[in-house]
Amino acid sequence: MENQSLIKIKPKKYANGEVVNVSFMVMHPMETGMRKDKKTGEIVPAQYINSVKFEYKGKVITTMNVWESLSANPVFTTYMKIDGEGELRVTYTENTGAVSQTSMKITPKG
Amino acid sequence: MQRREFFKKMGSVVAVSAVIPMMSFAEEAKKLVGPNEFSYEKALNIITSGKGATASPKVTLKAPEIAENGAVVPVTVEVESPMTESDYVKTIHIFATKNNNSRCISVHLTPANAKAMFSARIKLGSTQDVVALIEMSDGSFLSAAQSVKVTIGGCG
Amino acid sequence: MKIATKIALSLALLCSLSFGGEQFSMSDADRAMYAEMLENNPADLMVANGERLLADLGGSEALAKYLGMSEDTLPEYIAGFPRYMEKFKMVVGLDQVLQGMMHDAGKKPYKLKSPEMFDMLAFTKSLANDVKINIDVNANKHMKDAYALGQKTFDTKRGGRGLSCLSCHAPAVIGLILRTQPLPDLAVQNSGGTWPAYRMTKSSLTTLQHRFQGCMDNALLKVIPLGSPEMVALEVYVTEKSKGQAIAIPGLKR
Ligand code: HEC
Repeated sequence: MENQSLIKIKPKKYANGEVVNVSFMVMHPMETGMRKDKKTGEIVPAQYINSVKFEYKGKVITTMNVWESLSANPVFTTYMKIDGEGELRVTYTENTGAVSQTSMKITPKG
Repeated sequence: MQRREFFKKMGSVVAVSAVIPMMSFAEEAKKLVGPNEFSYEKALNIITSGKGATASPKVTLKAPEIAENGAVVPVTVEVESPMTESDYVKTIHIFATKNNNSRCISVHLTPANAKAMFSARIKLGSTQDVVALIEMSDGSFLSAAQSVKVTIGGCG
Repeated sequence: MKIATKIALSLALLCSLSFGGEQFSMSDADRAMYAEMLENNPADLMVANGERLLADLGGSEALAKYLGMSEDTLPEYIAGFPRYMEKFKMVVGLDQVLQGMMHDAGKKPYKLKSPEMFDMLAFTKSLANDVKINIDVNANKHMKDAYALGQKTFDTKRGGRGLSCLSCHAPAVIGLILRTQPLPDLAVQNSGGTWPAYRMTKSSLTTLQHRFQGCMDNALLKVIPLGSPEMVALEVYVTEKSKGQAIAIPGLKR
């Protein structure tokens, strides 16, 4: 299944040198492996994001180790300093081994 | 009208291994079968090599005193730091001290973040303390804690 | 309060009821934290998906064209749903309009209860964000009838417990605590302007009509189908309570 994800930068317009708020959100069940399916009574297998990595202009700026205690459809919010035009790329992995990626272009104004 | 830029996942691309710093618990965690049971005391001990952390006013942990819903509890951590090459916050760890697996997230920052602040939402199984454990670039450990009361509703 | 006590007793049969208002009341700081969460509402993902789905149909431009208006007037118009439409010869919700639009474009319409429709409805309603709800329940006979039917559906006791929507959402009981949840005032909550919303307990996006179904289910009232005349009428009745309040989609609810 395809997980939708979104990167949001606040404010929407930013200049070089500005420190902005970066949020990465992804549609994901964050299954703990301890929940029972209401219908079948069977344990739903664990499926959660276990790492997230932010790269800006090819350089790793933030990494995260994540466990199943994060809420479903998680939102990760950090800050970063705008330092020229380039790609902001977010890669996340799941405990199942799946790897996914999302990116957006950073274009400072002025 | 608000237009949102929408980025679709681009599929599996890179094998992530070397680039993501391996967690200090990786080896410990491997030994565990089934749910990732991991107590807060154990995690604190491993991360700080037994030194423990000092509660510090430099660390602000924001979480509701009463959670509307244990499945989604907003938590924000902010640390006073210049975030320069010589003095920055290396890692913000967030723990739910009474969850089976107390570890929620470890956020490894760099000076490029410019501001040592992180927020997310966590699941709390019961009323408990949430702890922010901060690893500074000089190797010291700071912390802040807050108790969160969880009321679980079922009707409505 | 006599009435309240009586109703409270009948509720007690259904759920354990406590009056520990103090114990469970949140501080302003707590409330502010939850309000801040609206900034990064997980439902933004669903709304973005809805945007993509509507774009497949030609986007807001195509919707405006389908409705025979300019794109500029679309938000005001959206803020007046449910409304009577000559095209359908009945009072319809915005989701039914989207179905009609899909149908006319030769596409198989999404079911009203499908996640696709929930997402697309959320995006379409968000086009009217910050616009005040302008539903007109006196616009014509159809709207008057729908409002009356909505009120009747809201007030009529049904089901095994003999409860109505009013049993839990009347001024006399609002604020009482039902299993840790204060009984909400639908006007104060701006229910007409804040759904579709992300429900934290369900980790998903839910529409107003689907929220009604949740209450029906919990109170052992027979569940009324989405899009049925009673259901749309109920939406008319509840939306009227929010008239004049601004639309803010997606909402974020417990
Ligand atoms: C047994 C009591 C009960 C009955 C009967 C009941 N509700 Fe509710 N309703 C609740 C409670 C409690 C909540 C709040 C739940 C929460 O906070 O999660 C609620 C929430 C709602 C909301 C969401 C409010 C918001 O935040 O915007 C709507 C809308 C609603 N009810 C409509 C109805 C309608 C329509 C009916 C009749 C079909 C109905 N309810 C019947 C108890 C009830």
